[in-house]
Parts: sequence; structure tokens; C-alpha cells
Amino acid sequence: MIQYKRGPIPALRSLLTGLLLLASVSPCSGYFLDKQVHSLVNSWSRFDRFLATFDPAGRYVRQPIERQIPALTFKGFYRQWSDIQLSGDRRVGNRKKDFRFSQMQHQLELELHYQISPNIEITNVNNFVYDAVYNWQDSAGLYAPRVSETTRVYHNFERTVRELYLSYRTHNLDVVLGKQQIAWGKMDGQYIDVINGMDRRESVQLEASDYEWRRQPAWMANVTYFFGANSLNVLYIPNFEQDRNPVPGSPWYSPLIPPRDDDVKSLLDGRSEPSGDTFRKTQRPSAGDFGDHQYAVRLDVSMEPLTWGLIYYYAWDKNPSPFIVGSNVDADGNTNLEFQPKFQRMHHIGITADYASALSGVPFVGELPLVLRVEGLWTRDVPFVDFDHQQAARDGSRNSGIVTRDTMRAAMAFEFAFPGNTTFLFQPSLLYTFDWRESLGSGFGGAVGDEWNVLPVLYAERPFRFTRDRLRVGLTLIPWISGPIREWQGIKSRLVATYRFSQFITGRMTYTTYSSGDRRDVYGQYNHWDNLGWELSYEF
Amino acid sequence: MSIRLFPSFLLTLFAFYFVSVFSVPAVPIAGAAEQNGGQQKTWKTIDELSEAEKATIDFRLDTPRDTAIPYLPAEPYPFEPPYTAEEMGYRSMEFPHVSRWSHAMADVFGAITSNGYLDEGITIGFSHYLPDQDGVPGQLTVAPGEAYFRMAFYYTYPPENQDLQDLWILRRTDQQETTKLDNFIYSPTLRRVRRQPQPRRDAQFPNSVQSFDDIVGRDAWEFSWRLLGTDVLHETVRFPNTRPTVTLAQPDGNFYEVPADHIKMLGDTYPHYTDDGGVACYVVEARTRKDWLPNYRIGKLIYWLDRHSFYPLRIEQYDHDNQLVIIEVRNAYLVNPALEGRGYAGLFTVYYDIGLDLMSYSAHDAHWVREWSKEDQRTMFEPDFMRRRWLKYPLKTQALVYTPEKFFLRPLLYPEKFPDERKIVVSEVVARRIDAQEEAGHLVFETTSQLSATKTP
Repeated sequence: MIQYKRGPIPALRSLLTGLLLLASVSPCSGYFLDKQVHSLVNSWSRFDRFLATFDPAGRYVRQPIERQIPALTFKGFYRQWSDIQLSGDRRVGNRKKDFRFSQMQHQLELELHYQISPNIEITNVNNFVYDAVYNWQDSAGLYAPRVSETTRVYHNFERTVRELYLSYRTHNLDVVLGKQQIAWGKMDGQYIDVINGMDRRESVQLEASDYEWRRQPAWMANVTYFFGANSLNVLYIPNFEQDRNPVPGSPWYSPLIPPRDDDVKSLLDGRSEPSGDTFRKTQRPSAGDFGDHQYAVRLDVSMEPLTWGLIYYYAWDKNPSPFIVGSNVDADGNTNLEFQPKFQRMHHIGITADYASALSGVPFVGELPLVLRVEGLWTRDVPFVDFDHQQAARDGSRNSGIVTRDTMRAAMAFEFAFPGNTTFLFQPSLLYTFDWRESLGSGFGGAVGDEWNVLPVLYAERPFRFTRDRLRVGLTLIPWISGPIREWQGIKSRLVATYRFSQFITGRMTYTTYSSGDRRDVYGQYNHWDNLGWELSYEF
Repeated sequence: MSIRLFPSFLLTLFAFYFVSVFSVPAVPIAGAAEQNGGQQKTWKTIDELSEAEKATIDFRLDTPRDTAIPYLPAEPYPFEPPYTAEEMGYRSMEFPHVSRWSHAMADVFGAITSNGYLDEGITIGFSHYLPDQDGVPGQLTVAPGEAYFRMAFYYTYPPENQDLQDLWILRRTDQQETTKLDNFIYSPTLRRVRRQPQPRRDAQFPNSVQSFDDIVGRDAWEFSWRLLGTDVLHETVRFPNTRPTVTLAQPDGNFYEVPADHIKMLGDTYPHYTDDGGVACYVVEARTRKDWLPNYRIGKLIYWLDRHSFYPLRIEQYDHDNQLVIIEVRNAYLVNPALEGRGYAGLFTVYYDIGLDLMSYSAHDAHWVREWSKEDQRTMFEPDFMRRRWLKYPLKTQALVYTPEKFFLRPLLYPEKFPDERKIVVSEVVARRIDAQEEAGHLVFETTSQLSATKTP
């Protein structure tokens, strides 16, 4: 038995007809209207088909190269990401926020794999980045290239050649030598993913999905021994790469950090001399000094349906701490301190685990598959600035101004698979500083501005079937709860709509807001940084 | 066009886009579909079967049960004729989308929307069947909750998915042990192996017709089985006239061309084709048992099972209103002769969602039956292996469709067959697209004006 049903969208068709009547400049007969509708629909359909298979770089670059050199695998992407600020020009703290675009990045990545033998391969990943925000808008608050050209363009070997390594594989052993990045852990966010430094130019807007391009790869030896379902991974890292935080004059440089933009530019122009506290050149660990090298080990064990792992990392703090090394009294009688920024050794001990199950008999959805992930990192000897000690030093006491504390950061994620390919994730995270006191600044892994922070992250995403799943919408909410002093440091909300123009071209719109919290708080300081972003990516 | 009207015009363009991409155009129908495949009556209800045909069938619905596992028939697998419908269902379990033996293959897949938006991919699949025995008997040797099959998939196309990997560990289920899959994904952009919740068994994958159960198969004990009759199929997967040949691959990397019209439903070596090239089938209904599958999206399935090996050449899925929603058709061939009739594996499979007018396909190219070495077993099928990004056996394939115009034809609807059991509702627009396809011999993506349509019922 076969039946025919009417088209499912008569209302839409009526709307369409009405719109066409409005738009048409010609006399409309029914025949003409119908032809016009179909002509336009068919034109768009042709364009959609053309776009679906549009892959010029794949066809004319990648495929010919791979045909000529069969042992070579070649791939890459071009991406344009832009974020536009939604609030007008104003002064915020120490910042002159007179720019609208916080990024206009053009990124080209080329990835090459050359198979020397079935077991040996050379990998090279190159990034070319140009951020047009500094050239394409007239802003007094954006001058970061004068501090670091890397903020505008990747202009040297260190940044352009992101990865270059030789890998050798047997059934039980992986040896990877060269410049590489390591991502440990299973969670969204950085918990035991601590091996490489990170380019944090976007500060609070650095997303987990961008870690791949923001990690700072380092030269290292990476050896993994596999035994059964388990593995033991050992890293030897002679090369140290620190975090790259936003520099003065960049869009996400914290408005809390003095001095004001005008004063920084005056110093850069040589119109004024440094005054007050002075900083010596940062002392960095040396690749040539065996004692400065870093070591890490990771054990992974599979006991289905549970998998778990342990890590230990003898590392440097990725950010230097300002040690007081001297003081002087200026002409006004003020005591100024002399700081020596130095990196400090730390011990990271971490755990990761995940477990899968399914809940039965859940109302409305029946069976509900879920995954539980847990991750935690305990770090020993984390350096913290102690402002009481600094004040004591100004008063004549001899101390370094730095104290060490242990910190812990941990998270537990519950991920559910709801009908309609809808993912829902709840991930409460904890940042904690042991033996905390109010005079402490911030340190790796600890709470920000408080003894503890709790971030109950909520995330939901689903594709829309009426677009044949080409449209996906995701919402992330990150409230920042804090104690015992600040209680609430604001909330970050992120709404992302991703549309697949084809399997090669993807577009994305992102709306990010930073709401509530005090102007000294993690998110509160960025209350005027709400922004709308778009991204267009072509992979070949 | 005046400036004043320009915003309206933009709005109109947007609406056109919305209509063409996101929904089915509501064009009044001009003609009914030709959907009988041009054959004379090939199907018989039970009442129409001859005595000789009836002798091969056990019509009982209530048969003795296995003493240890009450949901299994008492008769030992693989059963002896005459077969009950339930036994046919158990035999058809031998043939899920991914073959039930250890093997490697290049799995080419894709989907196309009604207006021709094509999405394709390639994954190299490595399957390790854990029990000592292949097939259904092997699955039944493991206890509920225990793993019986490990599948690793390494994506090589399109570029956005290159180096993406999946590991599926299938578990035998029963009413207490309901977890069917441990699922791990390696994402190259995250550089992490992540355990994922198992996909909902009845939910279609994004931009695809296939559900998880369509790929890993359904367990016969979760359904009530009933024989509807017999039929002779002459076509399952249909190639368009724009794709006269198909390039297939051997596991050793050699390619060969096959004329599309030479690809038979069960391969060249199948000995039971009818004189006119058809395959005689049992047609059985599998109705979802609510005590096993509560909230399952599918109300019933109808299988066309080859009468000799019980290979499902056509599977129809119906919703709870008994309305046909999805058709799956397959071409297969004898890949694993050691298993005789149980050694058939799918070559091309096409899935069709009638409501969405969405099709997806899968081609299992370069099928390589193999016993994995101890080292491979220990390493390749573990989650941790994925972060090594080591495609150890890089099988080649050129079986992609590449262009929308060369995509498979929609499966035949056969509206005249078993009309009391099969309720088929097709929108006018889809019916017209089917008409246009049948007339052209390939998919037609562009709609015609209702006033200029010429086809009549």
C-alpha cells in the first residue's frame, strides 16, 4: 500500500510566495511565480552541490604531490577567525579599550608525514599565522607587536615550525624524537595536560578546542612501552618552553595590571624612564644544563570498563616568579624593590580515570548511556607571590617575596547521550591552594584570588536533523564560584553554532559573554569583552 | 529592482535557501512513482505457498526453549529445516553490517540529501572476533556483559577526519546487561583518547540514515518473529547510468574495474539464482519486544532473507504507526568460503530514509579475511593504541562516489508487495523525485515547476 502525502511545509511555502510577491518587480502570474521559485531553488541547489565537492587545494595541490611522492602524506587547512567586541570604546581599568576586533587571525597549517619505512616516519607541522587586528583598525590600545611581534605574525622558526619529529614504532615500543606536543588527560580543560607550555594570548577566551594550535611544542624524547592493554610513557625534555601570556597592548591583556596603556607606550617610545620597582632579565632553564631538564612518566591501565592512569612530572613552573633580590630608596624616599624573575621547579602528580555505563528505565528516554571521567593533579612546591612578604621587604626585611604551597586541581565529568544525538555534560571542577592566606597571589594549579574555586561547567550540544545535521548548536556555561573571600567571580557563557558548508568547509559563529562578578574577578574584569566571533575553515 | 525592495529580496533569497536545503519542497505531485521494478508478481503470502514450499517452513510461533537460556530456541543452532521464523531471524544474525569474523577492510561511506549535498568518508576497519568460533555461535559462548567483538576504525578521508580513530568493543547483552558497546575515540585535534557514551542504539548517526544497530546488527531475541511469505528479489542496490563501472580493490592494493550491471546481489559464485537472475527469499517480520527494547524507535522490521543462507538482502524499518521509514538494501558476495553459507559479506549497502529523502551508502572494499597475530591482538584493539596514530595496514580504495550525479539510486519501494503488512507514505515531492530518477536513470536534484510537470499516473 502506498500513499502520497502533501508537502510538509505549506506555511513556509505561503511565506515564500508572499515574500516573492513583495520582492518581484515583474507582474506575477501563477505560472511565472512557480517557475521563478523553482529556478531560484534549483540555482541554490546547484551551488550547494558545487560547494559540497569544492576542494581545489586537495585536488590541485595535495593529490598531485601525494601521487608524485607516494610515501608522503600531505594535509592542511586555512582558517580565518575573527572576534568583534560588542561594547563601545571606553577605559577599563588600566586599558584603553578602543578596539572592536579582538582577533582577525588568518592561519594556514601544513602537515607532512613522510614514511621512510613501515616503522619509521618523519612528521612536520608548520603554522603560518597573521593577526590583522593590529593593522586593520585604528586603535591606541593595541600596540602588542611593539612588545612581541609574535602577537601579529609567526615570524621565526620557533613559532612557524610547530612540530618536527622522527617516530619509530614496533608492536611494544614507540620512540618519538624531536619537537612535539603532548596532550595528556581525557577531560575538557587542562588538568594533567601540563607537559607543554601554552600560548594564552586569548586569556579567559582560550578554549580547549584551540589547545592544538596554542600549545608550545618542545624538543623532547618520547618513549612508550606497551604491555597488554597497558602502557608506560616516559618523556625526557631538555628544551623548556614557557607559557606565553597576553602582552601589554594585546586585546586580552588584563585591565587589572598596571601601568596604564599610555604609560607603557611612553616607556616603549623612550619618552619616560622606568621608575619604581625594577625587573632583571628572566632567568630561564638552560637546555645545555643537564640539571635543568624535565622528566615525566605516565602509566595507563585498562581494566574494562574502567581505564585509569597515573602521571608524574618533574617540571618547571611555566611562568616565572619575581624573586626579590635587592632594594633601593629613590629620591622621594620610597623603597623600590629589585626583582629577578625565575622559573621554579615543581612536582606534578596526577590521576585520570574513566568509566562507561548506561542507565536503564530513565523516564522519557529509556536507556541513557553515560561516561564518567575523573582527573586530578596535585602539584608540590608551587611558588606564590606573598604581598605581605613584599611589603616586609619594602620595610627592610630580607626575604624573597615568594612562598611555596601545594595546589590541587581536579574535575569530574558526567557525559550523557540523549536522543537526537544530543550531548549533555556536567563537569564540576575544583581549584584549591593548600595553606592559603589572603596575602598570596596566584600560582599554578591553585585557586585564583581565593583559597578555592569551584567551576560547575555545563555543556550541551546537538545537531539539527532538519538541516541534515549540518547545523550544530552548543552552549557552555562556566560559573566561577570562589571562597572564602570573593564568593562569585562571574560567569562565562558561550553559544556556538557550527554549519558544515561541505566536508571541507566549515563555518562557525560564537557568542561569548562575561557576566557579573567584580571588576577584580576572573570573569568580572572582562565584563566589557563580550564578543561575537566567526570562523571559516577550509581543510584539504 | 528598487532599493526599497532590496531587503525583501534578500529575505526571499534566504527563504529559498531554507526551503531548498532544510526541507522538502512542497511541489504538488504530478505523477505516481514506478516502484515495482518492472517485474510480474514475485511475492506470495503464506496462504499462497505451495505444499512443497510449506514443507520447508515450521509455522509454529511457540517453540520449545533452551533450558539454560530461555530466550533461545531449544533446537541447536544452526537449526534444521523446517525453520521457524524465529530460527530464520537467528540465522540472519550471522550477517550484520560488519562481518562476524576477523578481517580488515576499507569502509567507504557517504550520504546525499535530496538536493544533492554529498558527504563522503573512508575509514580503514580492523575487526577482531574474539570467540574461538566465528559467527553467532561464538557470540553465544560469551556470557552477557562480556566482550565478543573488537573493531578499530582509522579514518583517512575527508581531510577533516584524517587520523580520527574509533574503537568499538561489542558486548553480548541481555535484559540485565544492557551495555552493548564500549566506545573510545581518538581525536587528532584533541590528541586524546576519550571514552564516549555508547551511541543510542536506535538513533541515526549525524547526517546519515544508519543507526548504531544498523551497523552492529540486532539480536534476534529482542524481537518477535513472524513469517509473511516469500518473494523473489531481482534488484537491491542500484547503480545509476552515470556510473557504468565501479573501481574495487584487492587487499594487496591492486584495483580492478567492474561493470556496475555485473554486480550481482549475492556475487558471482552464489549457486541459487533463479532462471531470471533473482534470489528467492523468505519475508519475515521482526516486531520489537517492549520488554527487551523499551522506547525503541523502530516498531518492526521486515527482512527479505535469502532462502539458503538467510542473508538479508533487504531490510525495512517501520515506526510505531507501522509506517515504512527506512529501507536498507545490500549486495554481498562470498568472502569467507571456509564458512560456506555463513561466509557472505556485504559489498555495497544503501540506506534510504523516506521521510527525509536522505540516502547513505557503505562499500566494504578490499575485504581481507585474516587471523590477527598475537601482537596485533594485544595492541591494535586497545584504546591506547589509537594515540600512536599508526595505520598499520593502510588498505587502499577508490570506491568513493565523488560526485552527486553518480550516487546510487533510491531503492525500489515495491508498494504492491504484502500491502496488508507494509504501509508506505511518500510525500508528493519525494514521489516526483523518484519519478524523475526512474526516468533519467540517475538521481535528479532539481525540482520542476508543478505547472510544467508532464508525468501522469
